[in-house]
Amino acid sequence: MSYGKLVEQSLYDVVDPELGINIVDLGLVYGVCSDENNNVIITMTLTTPGCPMHDSITNGVKHRVSQLEEVGEVEVNLVWEPEWSPSKMSDLAKELL
Amino acid sequence: MEALKLQLQSLVNNMKTTSLKSDTNIKLPLAFILYALIAFVVAQGVLLLNSDLLVSSQFRLPSSWMGAHFLLLGFAVMIAMGAMYQLVPVAFLTPIWNQKLGCLQFVITVVGITSLTLTLGFKPTSAIYGGILTIFGITLFIFQMAMTISKQKQRNMISFFVIAAVSSFALTILAGFVLAWNIAYGGIESHHSILYSHITLGVAGWFTLLIFGFSYKLVPMFSLSHGFTLKWTSLSFSTYVFGLLILIVSFWVDLDALTTIGWLFLFIGFSFFVLDMRAILLKRLKKKLDKPFAFSVIAIGNGLVIHSLALILSLFGINDSSIWSWLIFLYVMSWIIFSILGYLYKIVPFLWWTHKYADKIGKEKVPKMKDMIDEKMSVVLFSLFVVSIIGLATGALLQISLVVLNFQALLTVTSFLYAFSIIRILFR
Repeated sequence: MSYGKLVEQSLYDVVDPELGINIVDLGLVYGVCSDENNNVIITMTLTTPGCPMHDSITNGVKHRVSQLEEVGEVEVNLVWEPEWSPSKMSDLAKELL
Repeated sequence: MEALKLQLQSLVNNMKTTSLKSDTNIKLPLAFILYALIAFVVAQGVLLLNSDLLVSSQFRLPSSWMGAHFLLLGFAVMIAMGAMYQLVPVAFLTPIWNQKLGCLQFVITVVGITSLTLTLGFKPTSAIYGGILTIFGITLFIFQMAMTISKQKQRNMISFFVIAAVSSFALTILAGFVLAWNIAYGGIESHHSILYSHITLGVAGWFTLLIFGFSYKLVPMFSLSHGFTLKWTSLSFSTYVFGLLILIVSFWVDLDALTTIGWLFLFIGFSFFVLDMRAILLKRLKKKLDKPFAFSVIAIGNGLVIHSLALILSLFGINDSSIWSWLIFLYVMSWIIFSILGYLYKIVPFLWWTHKYADKIGKEKVPKMKDMIDEKMSVVLFSLFVVSIIGLATGALLQISLVVLNFQALLTVTSFLYAFSIIRILFR
């Protein structure tokens, strides 16, 4: 498994506390990039700009990825375009809602 | 890492990145909310001790003033101010201008409101002193909000609702001060016109416009709605504000037809707001709404019913002061207070969760926001609130003292249990 995939797997542990669904199934993670030194940049969004969970979720992502073995620097890149839409959610997330 | 960043840059070159860090220290909104909960229970207790005045619809006696001001200033205004310290940064994406000023404003307002309400009940001629402190505290709040909103990069309809609400609040306080002055020193003949303007600006201007504005942010957020179209927002704003102006003018020129036109515009403005909320909720992804939030949504329906009742009464020229007093009571309780009671069950868990668990997310298992509240208990409490209000209004209109006493007692006990259930969140 590539390091990027490992990072993505770990993000299933980060749960939106309001919805009770992890951020990957919610479709909030747009991409994970990693280099040969295991430096990681996670590009993600939130369901709405100004979401009060802004800091909690992005810090949660940093904390979780930082727990991985041999990880280098971790950076979270929060973007608002493309805007999040329900079509980005997994079937599981839709079912849970 | 630099190479990775360059690689990423090409990936996100079409994505807009923004820092939206704008949170408030939770101690400030929580302080307002805790004081407000105490005032809520005290207000109901004061009204219970004076239930005989409620039966005879004597709303213009010192004890009634004390109960009403504990409820509206001590509870509703303090909650609204505390919630604004939390919600303005969320809705406007701009931090509070000066949080230290917020703390100072809290202390001054608490001393002001407590002394004002107590003197209104026991020594109305001295109410002016508490009134001055209250005005000073609220003026600091209005200044704080004006400075915060002025930093907003791009105005939207929520900004206009909030600006109109805060302006109404300033006028309400000014009118309240003139009334307190007149009670103390006399000399102002248009006391009734000022009183009616004070009530209208306070309940319909300040609270309603504020709930309208924040509903446009909170309802989509709590129902996870996406892809809706808002067709009526600007019409709702302009019609409601126009209705307010007409209604207030009618109190000064004493023209019944103008009063009816004012209520007609308020009803139309409220209906436009309901249409927008309906459009949002129809596109919600969260099919099963959280119960406390559903209660706030039900309060919107109550508001529409009260506005239509006011229009009907006005159309048929019914000017019975006890009927209108009870209609104002229902306006305050079933629309404003019920909205607040529902939203508090969302705001307080958020504040406490952020304080206690925000740093633990991603490190260890943390509770969901919903785990912070007892939702089943909230359903029981909200049902008891509805039963109390219906029983109280019915008993008062039929002038049956025992019914009023029992339902006011139920309302007091429910208010205490509600305050307890909110404070319990802080121990989770």
